[in-house]
Amino acid sequence: MSITQFLFYFLTVLALFSAVMVVVSKNPVHSVLWLIAVFFAISGHYILLNAQFLAIVNLIVYAGAIMVLFLFVIMLMNLNASTEPQKNNWLKLAGVIAGGCFLMVLVSLVKQANELNNIAVTMGTGEIGLIKNLGKALFNDFVVPFEISSVLFLSAMVGAVVIGKKA
Amino acid sequence: MNAIIVSALLGVVMMFSGIFTTNKTIIKNIATAGVLFLLAANLMEMNNLFSFNINTHDLIVTQRYGLFFNCIAYGATFIYLVLSGTDITEVGVNVAEYFALIFFVLCGVAILSSFNGLLMLFIGVEILSIPLYILTGSDKRNLKSNEASLKYFLMGSFSTGVMLMGIALMYGATGNFGMVHSNGLRGVVSATQQPPFLLVAGIVLLFASMSFKVSAAPFHFWTPDVYDGAPSVFTSFMSTIVKAAGMLAFIRVFENQYTILGPTWHIIVDFAIVTTLLVGNITAVFQQSVKRMLAYSSIAQAGFMLFALYANNTEIAKEGILLYAAAYSSATISIFAVLIKLQDYTLDGFNGLAKKEPVLAFAATVSLLSLSGIPLTAGFFAKYYVLAGALQAGGALWLIIVAVLLAAVSVYYYFRVIQAMYFKEGDPQTLPISGGFKAALIVVAAFIVILGVWPSALLSWLYF
Repeated sequence: MSITQFLFYFLTVLALFSAVMVVVSKNPVHSVLWLIAVFFAISGHYILLNAQFLAIVNLIVYAGAIMVLFLFVIMLMNLNASTEPQKNNWLKLAGVIAGGCFLMVLVSLVKQANELNNIAVTMGTGEIGLIKNLGKALFNDFVVPFEISSVLFLSAMVGAVVIGKKA
Repeated sequence: MNAIIVSALLGVVMMFSGIFTTNKTIIKNIATAGVLFLLAANLMEMNNLFSFNINTHDLIVTQRYGLFFNCIAYGATFIYLVLSGTDITEVGVNVAEYFALIFFVLCGVAILSSFNGLLMLFIGVEILSIPLYILTGSDKRNLKSNEASLKYFLMGSFSTGVMLMGIALMYGATGNFGMVHSNGLRGVVSATQQPPFLLVAGIVLLFASMSFKVSAAPFHFWTPDVYDGAPSVFTSFMSTIVKAAGMLAFIRVFENQYTILGPTWHIIVDFAIVTTLLVGNITAVFQQSVKRMLAYSSIAQAGFMLFALYANNTEIAKEGILLYAAAYSSATISIFAVLIKLQDYTLDGFNGLAKKEPVLAFAATVSLLSLSGIPLTAGFFAKYYVLAGALQAGGALWLIIVAVLLAAVSVYYYFRVIQAMYFKEGDPQTLPISGGFKAALIVVAAFIVILGVWPSALLSWLYF
């Protein structure tokens, strides 16, 4: 097993384990910390895929800014076991059935898939994740959605002001 | 392209109009004039007079069909602003911003009628949704409005996440954001070959999230609470123009899907149609509040519009969805305009309206008849076209029988309102009603009847 393959499996196990821990942790602060671990593992995957820029952006924006914000909100809300809402058992059952149905669809799809047989992991190929190529794609082929998303952000900003201003 | 650019700019203009004047009537009039300007810009592109020439790398493809849908949506917005514009200014203090958000939504409508590829679909859907979360919560002193807004925002974000996941999987399967039915993919997936599993999973996720956006069952649970909690003027907007645009996007993105999913596709669509019709119509029967009843009725109408999805791009269904958008929007906007003028939203609040305000009662009656699909109103031909399209596509006879039976159920709850207005005694409290409002209601009612007698008056514009 080469070092890249070893890294791939290590990061995959780390990402999956942390993701599961996000869901099963009782304490919301622990959930957030596990989520940061997920982001680090995924950034590692980006680096393996030769996408250094995405890896760094993922760390700065998600693990850095957004998760800190998240952590602050959760700490300020002071969540603990006593404030946790009691969930209806029927609601839980419905959730299990719905989620289970979806899991069944996905598992049966993966089981039927022939194209997954004998495919090895390929690493470090492709150069689209490098900042130069990414910028070229963004400002040539995808310039229209790039510009139009400004309307999206503008409307979100207007909305934040409308909601935040005193009535 | 005209519509996208002009509507975004008009949104900015509306934002700035709030700086220069605090007079609500002036702001409303600017917005109404803006919609007319937007309509004119769109018509100019439709008739090849003038359009911004931008190389979009095939991410946006304007066709006459989509431009015509824009015309219907903007026409409906104009009617909406004329009928309920004054009520928008009464919701809260940030009047200019409300109109700005409405224009941003219209930008989303234009994107959804011309997108080519999943990337633009995503941006269009988001531009359509995010202003609505805010408009829903714009009545900040009302707890129900706040609750509705938060609920809508959380569930909407979740469904956006599901949609992104679906798009990512489809990208993984095909390597591009092209439409699902683009030629490249059809080359990849022959009839006998198993489609790539990532593509199938992606399509299922995309279907779920688009169902959420148009409130098709079983993803409809947010609809009654949000439509009921939002200020009535904005409920009117999001249950008509926005919903029609979402439906158009839904149909456009899934055109010709059966080639990829095979018979499974019909099972999924059949299930969505039947549950949507059942949930919408049956639950609406038990509602005491007319506003909540209209929320369920909008779920039921979405069930009918889904027949255009079933019909898979047959010509008559494509015309049908346009007619449906026009008929459903005009009728719902007019019934909401009447509802807003009443103090009491329950059925009893309508008692005796015909005696006190005969014009309002008449307009509401025409709208309700159209919504239930009675002949001589636009709703009849709208339902007829989409059902005929489904029949042409084949294999849908039982589905159509179910739909017609449930349309008969819908007559019951729509007619309860008519009965309350005409055959019950009461003294409904109304807000002050101007003569212009009554005249506008009459014009809309006339429009509904004209479409019901002569649908090609609208549809012939599609071709020349």
